[in-house]
Amino acid sequence: MPISNYLALAAVLFGIGALGVMTRRNTIVVFMCIELMLNAVNLTLVAFSKMHGELSGQVGVFFVMVVAAAEAAVGLAIIISVFRSILSVETPDSSELRL
Amino acid sequence: MEGLLWYLVAGLALGSALGVVLMHKPLYSAFCLVLNLFCVAVMFGFLDAHFLAVSQVIVYAGAIMVLVVFVIMLLSLEGKERSSSKFITVLAAAGVVGLLAMILGPIKAAFPGKASAITGGVEAIGMELYSKYLFSFEIASVLIMVAIVGAVVLARRIKSNAN
Repeated sequence: MPISNYLALAAVLFGIGALGVMTRRNTIVVFMCIELMLNAVNLTLVAFSKMHGELSGQVGVFFVMVVAAAEAAVGLAIIISVFRSILSVETPDSSELRL
Repeated sequence: MEGLLWYLVAGLALGSALGVVLMHKPLYSAFCLVLNLFCVAVMFGFLDAHFLAVSQVIVYAGAIMVLVVFVIMLLSLEGKERSSSKFITVLAAAGVVGLLAMILGPIKAAFPGKASAITGGVEAIGMELYSKYLFSFEIASVLIMVAIVGAVVLARRIKSNAN
């Protein structure tokens, strides 16, 4: 399978994730769409790593996974603590900082 | 045979990614995302990144998604999500489709590279990680430590001293 097929698939996955981030209102779904985008980038990195015969890309993917795990822990904690104070997880409801 | 399997997995990945965006209940989105993560893990397998394929299943589909499903269950959200305005949705969809059309057209000519014989097994990745990237690896452990402490502090119930 040519490398460009993997890149095309990753681009479409990234686009779908970005669409979800822009259109969905539920914070948890937005969070999952961000995971989708991170994953598409991971696929791109691994595809380029395979193309260039260089393992650095795969090490980069490993670090992206580490950051995603940390992000999941902190992000979900923020969602829970916002839900406690305003009883909602929808983005238009958390507008207290808006002018 | 492998080509057929590739297109099957790619189609499943695209379908489940659309499921994440289009499903109305967050829990269904979460299950679609798990399916999508498995499909990407299979793609890693096709690219001979065996270590990453396994850690994708364990870390993403296992640990992170369990956390997400746990939070969805904990909050037990009822009621319909307000959908964003039709104008925004159409604008976002048009933008994404336009960008993808611009990217996907010349992608084959831009990256004609052939796959190399490299294999990302545990040994190869481990050698890179513990020699060239040792410092980053240690920093990553500090990052996870900070994230754990931050999550505990954020999610802790703050006792009100108003009364």
